[in-house]
Amino acid sequence: MVSGMSTPMAKTPLQALNSAAATAVVAAGPAADPHGAIEIRNVGVSYQLAKSTGVKKNARRTVLEDISLTIEPGEFVVLLGETGCGKSTLLRMILGQERPTSGEIRIGGSPVTRVDARSGYVPQKYSLFPDRTVLGNLTMGPETSKYHILGRLLPGFRAFRREVREEAYRQLNHMGLQRSDAHKYPHQLSGGMQQRVAIAQALMMKNRVLLMDEAFSALDPATRASLQRLLRSVWCEARPTVVFVTHNTAEALFLGTRVIVLARTGREDHCGSRVALDMQLPTSGMSLRGNGQEFLDLVDHIEHFSRGDRATAADPELEAALEPDSPAVSTDGDPL
Amino acid sequence: MATLASSANPFDIQARPNRLLAQALSCLFFVVCIGLYMHTSASRHRENPEDRVVPNATQLAAGIHASVLEPAEEDDYIPADNASKWERFRHSMIVKDTISSGRRFFIALALLIPAVVLALHIGLFPWFGAGFLRFVLFFDKIVALSLLPILFIVFGIDEWSKIALIVIGVAPTMILDVTNMVKAVPQEQIVKAFTLDANNFDVAYRVVFRQVLPQVINSLRLNLKPMMLFLFAGEMIAASDGLAYRIAIMRRHMGMDVILPYVLWVAFLLFLIDLSLRVLNRRLHPWFQA
Repeated sequence: MVSGMSTPMAKTPLQALNSAAATAVVAAGPAADPHGAIEIRNVGVSYQLAKSTGVKKNARRTVLEDISLTIEPGEFVVLLGETGCGKSTLLRMILGQERPTSGEIRIGGSPVTRVDARSGYVPQKYSLFPDRTVLGNLTMGPETSKYHILGRLLPGFRAFRREVREEAYRQLNHMGLQRSDAHKYPHQLSGGMQQRVAIAQALMMKNRVLLMDEAFSALDPATRASLQRLLRSVWCEARPTVVFVTHNTAEALFLGTRVIVLARTGREDHCGSRVALDMQLPTSGMSLRGNGQEFLDLVDHIEHFSRGDRATAADPELEAALEPDSPAVSTDGDPL
Repeated sequence: MATLASSANPFDIQARPNRLLAQALSCLFFVVCIGLYMHTSASRHRENPEDRVVPNATQLAAGIHASVLEPAEEDDYIPADNASKWERFRHSMIVKDTISSGRRFFIALALLIPAVVLALHIGLFPWFGAGFLRFVLFFDKIVALSLLPILFIVFGIDEWSKIALIVIGVAPTMILDVTNMVKAVPQEQIVKAFTLDANNFDVAYRVVFRQVLPQVINSLRLNLKPMMLFLFAGEMIAASDGLAYRIAIMRRHMGMDVILPYVLWVAFLLFLIDLSLRVLNRRLHPWFQA
């Protein structure tokens, strides 16, 4: 097994890699506009445990603890971590769906208090409106943002809609869908197609921030790989700030320019997740084919951090449970 | 032989009955019922040719003729001798009753629309939920028929008390049902709509309402029967026209020859309303699955 000794081995190439990546991001920096900046200041989340036997009164469970991050405009940030480490919670807070118990989140300088159109959103499931055709889904954003519910009765609406439709067809083509797909309903599309449309739908709004919650996790490996390539090319063109939540390390390395690993600091309820690793990656993305052994070492390195304290605690049972994980990730990693 | 025996076994879940046989079997109980009826009718008529409890075909035909082509007893209208069939039909008992019952039914149906809109708000807007949900839950447990005397006192014994009975009887259940549907809409959809710059009313009416509408129509289809039940209860107790009024009146002089066609007519009407709602649902919402 490589996993045991990966950390010391990976250190040296990683540091070189880090500095190279940092310069690359700085070079890309000035092109992006400041609306895409996300600031996370001392964010913590905890909630009261439901009263049941064996739970003390006012017992609280901490999910996230003192998270501070500054995400520059145009960065592609991948949030990694094990199930239940709070990475999706963090995303929902950037989105405005949930509020931090303490601390503050700002997008483009102003605080996030509710879900609004500053950020686009692509969830894993239910990403499209089932009652609208593909075209309806794509045009919905621009239409509602300009003409709200009664505004649709205004005279300019029809002309505007024609314009938006043209734009939607262009976007659809861009995403690799046929013009004939435009009048299908989401349930007639495959999972991969649905996610393509969902990305297109978010892009129609031209927001500077794109939040994706395990967006490709339900797809089969081939579809997943093609969507990863699509997302990368989309990001290279428009350079939005992307925050991408995943549990697949290979996916993270292929997509991101920055990987952030969240891990719990302990197993007790009062120990929340903290940033265990914050690492810059080369802007060109990494893959097993392109980077070979370095890629594998990096996967092991990152997974060591996402396991947090638990792996260091000599727990044979846990070690055994984790063992099959490592090869699974590198084969499951599609960008080969 | 063994295979035949096993495939003919009525308790075999994996049986594959042949199509023709299955079709024939589905008609079996209709035939049995009609046969039993005819047998009873014939035997009773042998004892008493004037028997009214189980009318025979001639009596039924006369009853149907009386309800479809003759005006109601209490009406002043007397058709001219040369009046056409259509003219007679237009002033007939069954048309008059159907129209007055239908009017009550459709007014009540229209009054359920605001109830559905309220339910949408209760399910979606936290403040509405806080204000209304508990009250509706309480109201739902009140037996609507026990309110009937109160309704008669408040609204008088004419139209509005009956319409109010239907609405009060069905609306709380509808509201709770629709509220649950609204709450079952995935949070992702609502969040997504907000990221597409929708405002609150866009989300309520153009995202959530559109999605639950087919389910609302299905819920309404299930509630047709209770609506009819409340309508009939109201009409049987206090009315001067209507389908249930006629059935109640006919009971007094054992008018089975009119009651039976009325019962079947009501069933047929209900079936038609249900069918039209189902077809409407399928036409309006091709994306809706089951």
